[in-house]
Amino acid sequence: MSRWSLATCGTILLAVGGALSAQPPAAGPAGGRGGPGRAGPAAALFDPTGYWVAQITEDWKERIHPAAKGDVGSIPVSAAGRREAAAWDPASANSCKVYGVGGILRMPGRLHITWEGNNLKIESDAGAQTRMLSFGTPSGQAGSLQGVSVASWDRLAPALTGFTLGGRGGSGGSLKVVTTQAGPGYLARNGVPYGAKATFTEYYDRQEVPGGPTLLVVSVEATDPDYLNGPYWYSVHFKKQADAAGWNPQPCDAK
Amino acid sequence: MAIIKVLRLSLILLGCAASVWLLDAQAPAGGASKGGPAKGGPAPAVDFSGYWTGNMQEDGAERGAGPELVDYGGIPINEAGRLWALSYDTSRLTSRFHQCDGYVAPYSVRAIGNTLVWEERDPKLRTLIAIHWYSQTFEGHRVFWMDDRPHPPAYAPHTYMGFSTGTFVGNALRVETTHLKQGWFRRNGLPESDQATLTEFFVRHGDHITYTSVVNDPVFLSEPWIRTTDFYRQPTDPGAWLFPCDDSEQIVGRAPDQVPNYLFGAHPYLDEYSKKNQVPLIGALGGPETLYREFESKLASVSDAQARELTHPAPGPSATSVAVDPNPHDGEIHVLPIRNNVYMLVGDGANIVLQTGDEGAFVVDTGAGKLTSKVLAEIRRLSTKPIRYIANTSFHADYTGGNQTLKNAGSDPSVVGTFLALNSPGVGATATIIAHENVAARMAGALGNNPPTSPDSWPIDTYVTERRRTFHNGDSIEMFYMPHASTDGDSIVHFRRADIIVAGDIFNTTQYPFIDVANGGSVQGEINALDAILDRTVFEHSGEGGTLVVPGHGYLCDEHEVVEYRDMVAIVRDRVKALIASGASLAQVLAAKVTTDYDRRYGANSGQWTTQMFVTAVYQSVAMYQSSKQPPGK
Repeated sequence: MSRWSLATCGTILLAVGGALSAQPPAAGPAGGRGGPGRAGPAAALFDPTGYWVAQITEDWKERIHPAAKGDVGSIPVSAAGRREAAAWDPASANSCKVYGVGGILRMPGRLHITWEGNNLKIESDAGAQTRMLSFGTPSGQAGSLQGVSVASWDRLAPALTGFTLGGRGGSGGSLKVVTTQAGPGYLARNGVPYGAKATFTEYYDRQEVPGGPTLLVVSVEATDPDYLNGPYWYSVHFKKQADAAGWNPQPCDAK
Repeated sequence: MAIIKVLRLSLILLGCAASVWLLDAQAPAGGASKGGPAKGGPAPAVDFSGYWTGNMQEDGAERGAGPELVDYGGIPINEAGRLWALSYDTSRLTSRFHQCDGYVAPYSVRAIGNTLVWEERDPKLRTLIAIHWYSQTFEGHRVFWMDDRPHPPAYAPHTYMGFSTGTFVGNALRVETTHLKQGWFRRNGLPESDQATLTEFFVRHGDHITYTSVVNDPVFLSEPWIRTTDFYRQPTDPGAWLFPCDDSEQIVGRAPDQVPNYLFGAHPYLDEYSKKNQVPLIGALGGPETLYREFESKLASVSDAQARELTHPAPGPSATSVAVDPNPHDGEIHVLPIRNNVYMLVGDGANIVLQTGDEGAFVVDTGAGKLTSKVLAEIRRLSTKPIRYIANTSFHADYTGGNQTLKNAGSDPSVVGTFLALNSPGVGATATIIAHENVAARMAGALGNNPPTSPDSWPIDTYVTERRRTFHNGDSIEMFYMPHASTDGDSIVHFRRADIIVAGDIFNTTQYPFIDVANGGSVQGEINALDAILDRTVFEHSGEGGTLVVPGHGYLCDEHEVVEYRDMVAIVRDRVKALIASGASLAQVLAAKVTTDYDRRYGANSGQWTTQMFVTAVYQSVAMYQSSKQPPGK
């Protein structure tokens, strides 16, 4: 192509690109990537299903067994939270409040993730818990251990304003889950509390280690006006299993 | 004309449409591919530029104020890692040579402090060359090369930050790092070896980074150690980016060969953390089991007395080295430029060092003699002048095997035309070989029981005192005698201006030191020699860089590797000494497995220099010293 042709072509592309980029992003029922008509596995940015085993490599003292009463570790607990933690009864170490949405991911154990229709089901053998993640429409029961969640696929996307050239979106992304309206629970096994107003924003990412394991990494931002001084960020990881080895559901103590 | 214009416009529109179609075809395919990220073209670059701060809301106490002693839970260490850590006395940090130790990359990323990230782009093409990740703590400056360059060869230097290459995978920046120095898993003595590699994933979630690190360390870990960390973005420059460190005297009067350490099973604070935090000792001692839920039952069932068994080496055969061999063993000679006009030649036995210049090549050691013609070809490629001097650091065959050929290929014009030539016709027609007198004596068979080598290979310019010096090619070159180290004839060679020390057989990265007791070597002389190297090194920053040290065998080093090696030899000596003091025989010392924490790095159960031979040499030389009360080498 001659320089004139390239320039003309560029002008036309600029115009077409600008017109296209001025449009709002297409958001299907799955949110983000899928677009109209795509949902469930077809809209997924990665495959989250299978058995995943938690590796406890951080905050080990707090996560592998209850830390001492009143030891809040690195959690930004408010004065009210400290009072609650100080009142914890060690006899309730297996309380279901440990297995609520704010604590379940930090517990030693395994996850079993499957599709149920267009929804994701996350089962945890620790505490024998089940979370249902629906896309677009919040699901769950207010006041329950796992609260009300809404999921979406969070894809890298260019800023869609004005005239652009290039700015191609990413080929991957995260599973984003926002949970509210959960009943009070524990952030740690020794009774570090969260309240009913807490919000948990989770990002799930799948990482393939070359020559190594496949990982499910979950980064969580917890906010709680009742018991936290500010956002509490933590991240955990799970290693992909080939099968259900070690899957051993153990119910929690409902009292 | 109108028809031509319409046709031309149509072609352009067609070209534009094709371009759009092609661009679209490169866009990611819909739906998740099985397993990995969705297929499509190369993932676009994600911008990580800016100021970031590590979130300390996990392991905050350990990463901030520091870990407690013997807190290893959740770390998949093996026996070697545990025993190494349990022998660590924190007073070691008072050593001049450890005060400024930097953090290795896996530790640095999780350390307290701020991080500055910026992109480096080609000034004209705007392609992404590298991403710079600069940590405030110890000025840890990492470079993630994004331009598909290969990792350096195994004989290249290791650094605290290592060598990193990056690629975008889906929404993640994936970074692979090799060539790390030995450093910390934790600041309570848990070691990470120089054989560790690191895989990392950086994912942006708005003004937040989720960071995953996977450390593989075949020396000290049973399985990869995986952790996740969070960073949040800072809107303004936090400042305070510098982290200077100069060492100083902290323990005055401590002998240079004293390395603070605990004998196996003798850590005085073994259960302090355990008791304080109500963690059963079996958990505090770490290991791969501690990562998983199933370990909860073991926490309740294993007594502290049973756990203490883990503080001694387990019976059974010794482990062998899992380290990467820095020698390519491909029948070729590989050249590593070191600094200025000095090169390291790798591939024929011991490392060869070459200094080039107008006055002729100066060669230190000549290799095993199996690839000497290729060595000579490389020297001639690098030096337009003939070889003038050859220095031998040792009489061992893998250091002197090429003497004869290289000597005869060279010449020493400094004596041609002098009165020496009047009495000795032909003098100066070959290179001059310099070494300590005992090297010449042992090669000639005049000392010891070694068969003589060819007279053409013998050093003819020898010295017997502590120092030999010459100024050559604009550098001050000094040879220092290291009495009774590997043998009784070892020298180190110091290129003062280039600031490079050639250590010879005193220091290797591939095996335990070859303490050749039959030829005058001793463990105390070995430690003294390593300390003598350290007396001459100056680091550039955070305990690395500055003076470079060429090992007899292995990769190019600086003082950090020498310090760790010195520590290892001194600690093994201390263990053997303690056993001898308690009346142990050689057989009992060998059975005690005094090198267990180092065997996966340096050990061998076969070959020319085994772990058993090393421990025997230590035993013999310690026993000799104790019976004669006369330290070898003094």
